[in-house]
Amino acid sequence: MKHLPKHLRPRWRYLFVGIEAWPDADVDRRDFQRSVWFAAQNLLGDVASADADLRVMAYEFGDGEGEAVVRARREHVSEARAALACVSAVRDDPVGVHVRGVSGTVRAGEERYLGREGHDSVEEDVVFRNATRRAVGRDGLVDVDVGGGFVGATRSDLE
Amino acid sequence: MYEAVTAVPDGESTVRRFAATAARQGYDGLVVRNAPSADPAFDAAAVADEFGVDAVDARVLVGDDPTDVSGRVKSARDACTLLLVRGGSPELNRFAAEEERADVLSKPMAGRGDVNHVVVRAAADHGVRIEFDLAAVLRESGGPRVQALRDLRKLRELVEQYDAPYVVTGTPRSHLELRAPRDLRAVGEAVGFDGDQIEAGLAEWGALAARNRHRRDPDFVAPGIERGPHEDDP
Repeated sequence: MKHLPKHLRPRWRYLFVGIEAWPDADVDRRDFQRSVWFAAQNLLGDVASADADLRVMAYEFGDGEGEAVVRARREHVSEARAALACVSAVRDDPVGVHVRGVSGTVRAGEERYLGREGHDSVEEDVVFRNATRRAVGRDGLVDVDVGGGFVGATRSDLE
Repeated sequence: MYEAVTAVPDGESTVRRFAATAARQGYDGLVVRNAPSADPAFDAAAVADEFGVDAVDARVLVGDDPTDVSGRVKSARDACTLLLVRGGSPELNRFAAEEERADVLSKPMAGRGDVNHVVVRAAADHGVRIEFDLAAVLRESGGPRVQALRDLRKLRELVEQYDAPYVVTGTPRSHLELRAPRDLRAVGEAVGFDGDQIEAGLAEWGALAARNRHRRDPDFVAPGIERGPHEDDP
């Protein structure tokens, strides 16, 4: 269909989102989009979630950290933020979601809010709470495998 | 703004990991609910140096009934900066709300907990902060969330009616569960709070910590009375 003339097109805002998870998490774009929709629908209801019209525009994830750009209607940024805050897990992987900033264009926000992370992660043996364990470290942050789960730590927590 | 977190071993992240995430999300500080077990050598200064986030040692008194808890209030009060008493039954809520030495009545609506005008008025009279727990809003869905929202609304209406002091938290147990103040504000607005209420509730943790640190200062005698520098008589 022919697209709308400019003055009739909806106004969008773009939310730049940081995503964090344990190192073994596998969160792909489709799952994340689904979780965002579910979160919005569960929190806001059908009507308001349709209004907010959340869509994942760009997505990148690997080694337990990632970034996404989520589009929302301009008048519904607060609802979008609330829905994103309620994304506590994607499938069964717990995720941390943080809206770093909101921008009127993707390009303006990309420069300000994206590309901060992307540190290489290193797998190593560490001593944590008097036991030697496998861990995945990245930029001073260390996720320690304690058997059946991870513990979030930092370099200064290790012995 | 401050968030009250549960660190390893009861939670899944260390105090420092919480601090790293909190600093990025724009928090001024953290209240560590389980300070004695999380970090026996609790060093707020080291955390502040490394991450620029204030760490406050707290502990939560958990018990089955008021007699169980009341014996431990005094020693716990002396041992930490912030003292939380976990509610969760009408008797415990009433007890905590009337206990001046407690700072916060935590999770009043958990389990079979309920509050009424008596409890909220007692909390207002005794300066005990009532905790709004957004954990279920953030991480549950369906029935449990509906119940939590219903409880939050009841609590909010009573707190507004009696102008009782309150704190707000998302009760994160790992750095992944931590949500930024602005995100919590948006969630609060979506479930019927005023955005400023949420921010005031997050800031209240910090105000409590500052007040208690001042009170624990050796020069503090009573509110308004302090041992100060004085000149010797000639």
